[in-house]
Amino acid sequence: MELSTEVQMDLHRRMVRIRLFEEAAGKLAEAAKLPGFLHLYVGQEAVASGVCAALTDADQITSTHRGHGHLVAKGGQFNEMMAELMAKSTGYNKGKGGSMHISNLEVGMLGANGIVGAGAPIAVGAGFADKYRGEGNVAVAFFGDGSTNIGAFHEAANMACALKLPVVFACENNEYGEFTAREKTMAITDIIDRAAGYGMPGVIVDGMDVVAVHEAATEAVARARRGDGPSLIEAKTYRYYNHHGVQNLGLKYRTDDEVAEWRERDPIFTFEEHLIANGTASRADIDAIWAELRADIATAIEFAEASPVPTADQLLVDVYTEMAPTAAEVPA
Amino acid sequence: MPSPGASSVGIIVNPHAGKDIRRLTSASGQTSDAVKIGIMRRIAAGAVEMGAERVLFSTDTHRLAQRAVEGLDGHFEFLESPLTGAGFDTIAAAQSMCKEQVGAVVVLGGDGTCRDVATGWPDVSLIAISTGTNNVFPSTVDGTTAGVAAALVATGAVAVDAVAHQAKRVSLRIDDPARDAVVHEHALVEAALIGTAFVGARAVTDPATIRWVVACIANPASTGLASIAGRVHPVDRNAPDGVLIELGPGGRNVRVPLAPGTFATLHVASVETLRPSETIELTGGGVVAYDGERTTPVSADTTITVSIEQSGPRLIDVDQTLALAAHDQLFDEPSPRKETHGD
Amino acid sequence: MTRKLTYGQAFNEAVRQAMAADDDIFCAGEDIGAFGGVFQTYAGLQAEFGERRVVDTPISEQAIIGLGVGAAASGLRPIVDIMFMDFLCVAFDQIVNQAAKIKYMFGGAATIPLTITTGGGAGLSAAAQHSQSLEALLCHIPGLKVVQPSNPYDAKGLMTACIREDNPTIMVLHKRLLGMQGEVPEDAYEIPLGKANILREGADVTVVGWGRMANEALDAAEKLAADGIDVEVIDPRTLQPFDTATVVESVRKTNRVVVVHEAVRFGGLGGEIAAQIQEEAFDYLDAPVARIAAPFSPVPFSPVLEQIYLPSADDIEAGIRGVLARPGV
Repeated sequence: MELSTEVQMDLHRRMVRIRLFEEAAGKLAEAAKLPGFLHLYVGQEAVASGVCAALTDADQITSTHRGHGHLVAKGGQFNEMMAELMAKSTGYNKGKGGSMHISNLEVGMLGANGIVGAGAPIAVGAGFADKYRGEGNVAVAFFGDGSTNIGAFHEAANMACALKLPVVFACENNEYGEFTAREKTMAITDIIDRAAGYGMPGVIVDGMDVVAVHEAATEAVARARRGDGPSLIEAKTYRYYNHHGVQNLGLKYRTDDEVAEWRERDPIFTFEEHLIANGTASRADIDAIWAELRADIATAIEFAEASPVPTADQLLVDVYTEMAPTAAEVPA
Repeated sequence: MPSPGASSVGIIVNPHAGKDIRRLTSASGQTSDAVKIGIMRRIAAGAVEMGAERVLFSTDTHRLAQRAVEGLDGHFEFLESPLTGAGFDTIAAAQSMCKEQVGAVVVLGGDGTCRDVATGWPDVSLIAISTGTNNVFPSTVDGTTAGVAAALVATGAVAVDAVAHQAKRVSLRIDDPARDAVVHEHALVEAALIGTAFVGARAVTDPATIRWVVACIANPASTGLASIAGRVHPVDRNAPDGVLIELGPGGRNVRVPLAPGTFATLHVASVETLRPSETIELTGGGVVAYDGERTTPVSADTTITVSIEQSGPRLIDVDQTLALAAHDQLFDEPSPRKETHGD
Repeated sequence: MTRKLTYGQAFNEAVRQAMAADDDIFCAGEDIGAFGGVFQTYAGLQAEFGERRVVDTPISEQAIIGLGVGAAASGLRPIVDIMFMDFLCVAFDQIVNQAAKIKYMFGGAATIPLTITTGGGAGLSAAAQHSQSLEALLCHIPGLKVVQPSNPYDAKGLMTACIREDNPTIMVLHKRLLGMQGEVPEDAYEIPLGKANILREGADVTVVGWGRMANEALDAAEKLAADGIDVEVIDPRTLQPFDTATVVESVRKTNRVVVVHEAVRFGGLGGEIAAQIQEEAFDYLDAPVARIAAPFSPVPFSPVLEQIYLPSADDIEAGIRGVLARPGV
């Protein structure tokens, strides 16, 4: 598969957008401007970007605790995202979801999820709807290595395969389930060793290499669109920061050397080296992209800070969808 | 503790073999860790049975070696080395085994893994068990048998020269002025220039991107890039020469299984035999693939000098090794192991 | 035109008529396709609508609800069946944390027109894991609606309303009522959710009961009528949202109330209903609100013990006599 300049620059842009959004969110959290929990996606940008670049707006994704990256990659806008993180009424979810539940259906993002593994069954439902309508759309479930130890994942994987649904299971194996190393919580190393048990192909890709991820995602999505059923992609990746919050070094459960090793394979910087070596972009081109997106982030922070907080009358709005009374009512 | 130089069998596993993107782009099967662990356990049991005093394992990111011998009797050592999770681990393991004077190494992987072993230890005495995707160089052999054969060679019960044949290699000198780099590489089966910009997921899936293939084993009964050469101009693994196939319009159109279960039409522009010690200079940019995997990105004005060398691993013929052992009644009681250890 | 149908047939007809009218409606669940469901409540639907629209699923309750949530968020109107109410517990994350909350968490951007059907209630010696009445757990969750019909007419009308609902709704069919016969109109009709039904008007005491207990309450009322005691029986039909107004209006008339449910007494809906009554009609009460409910134990297997465990018309009668024994103000 030969990637056009347009696709290469698109992959790059998605990754830089995620990086800048997340670094900005981290700084705002340190400044106590973001209520609640924050799970940063920094380090894993190649996965969301490589996968989402293979999708259309009509394709849907489900996400994880670490969901900002997926929403940015799927086309989420900085203003509404930043406002949501700041719990403002102009946020995508009117300040009722926040970092851990951020979503936007218009770009096909069915929500970050505060429950580990819970997105996978929902992606199965989205995939069911895609197959039911027969319009060739697909659903992607993003999930971490840790969530493959929870029943929901297994039920979802089995059902998607049993019903042969257009679902791609995209595992981001970042080697830690919250604060515990993967090797302590499962007796296998590769999540894809589970794929065969459900009757779907599983492939491993370098999750720090956006091209590798994109190639695998393109194949898996094409397979789903063709009606050939689910597949599992395992991207080996790493989160630079702690499970939540903005600490990255000096953590009890991993070494700083390990962090440094992964950072050397940074998905954005290594890709930029390739772009320059291939003549796809110059250093100046790349610097201009960062500058442009930094300005967008600054605008988004201004937008969010200037936005109003939800008013008290919003508390009970949207608990239920209001139903119009039925005309066909028959008295008992 | 066995003395240095005691009869030693090495086992090197590539935990990543049989798990790449070709599970999606072709009908390739997945080789799970459980399958690899089972093979390794059988190799170890076979080697111990046949009198290997030491069984040395490569360590790997998946701890396959440690898991393979849990509860198994025998002297097992694990060669500690920094693990990168990439081909370097296999290269480093082969280098360590060379240093440890291992008598025979059993490798689990595909063509790419065997190439990495040969990079670390070019003339290693080798049994290669296929657990990869394209398996031109390795073969399907049960681990038990492989372990027995490796021990027979390592203990000297069967002379290595009687049962091993030195493999060829494709040698490449890549001179990339734009990157200011000269790189020397080898391939055990074939090398190819792929007209893409990225290493990406490594596998070569798009036939239109293949510029040329140089093969030293061109077996029509194989899959992958080697099958292009194999179906156009077969070259036996024991013959001294190789073949260069240039792809492009104007020549034969050949159906080729570019990956297991996946066929494509390749346009063959030219075919040229490479005699031993003959060199050919090729130019072009893209990514150079070795034994099926895109590896080295090169700029457009790169010069690649290729030749066929008789410098590869000594590939042990397992059937022949066991046949000789049977002829010499080496499987009779008391077993060689009991003679050695007196237990 | 009406004719006699069983409770199960009436439910089935609601699903069939809704599916015929709207291709966005599909059903999924364990054994509901080829077999028609363990209670035959989905009988004949796969034959009529095909495997695309009536889907046999693995025994995977989380994934069944997830299937419904994801498909509903994608614009379909799923009906998903969880065979026994007890099994809702297996899928509680998808029900409680996902289905119920997505609309709110998404700032209103999503609608989840999902109907979950399930068989609740005891009386079949199905023991502790196939007999529970867990409606209080469900009613505690903002975002869910909970419905339990007490007769065939309601089964069809309430199910039709559930399918039309744009909110996640749990339709609890009482297993012991599946064979109950009653007049049911042929045409599709809806019974609005959140509106109670006064099954029997009376002046002396109000009994609130749903599902099978509504019928037990009617039996008790008949017996007491012979003694000149005039019992009003209210079937809330929908448990969440609960029609407090109808109950309160009744209590203001009768001044005495008994709440009856098959679920265990502690933490049951009876406590919530009693609290609402005292909040809104304290001055009208001539006696404390009485609760007739199961004791605080798992549902026993032994038919003898199960009969003791379950509230009956006799228990309700005793409860009514108890509140009537208190002198009025």
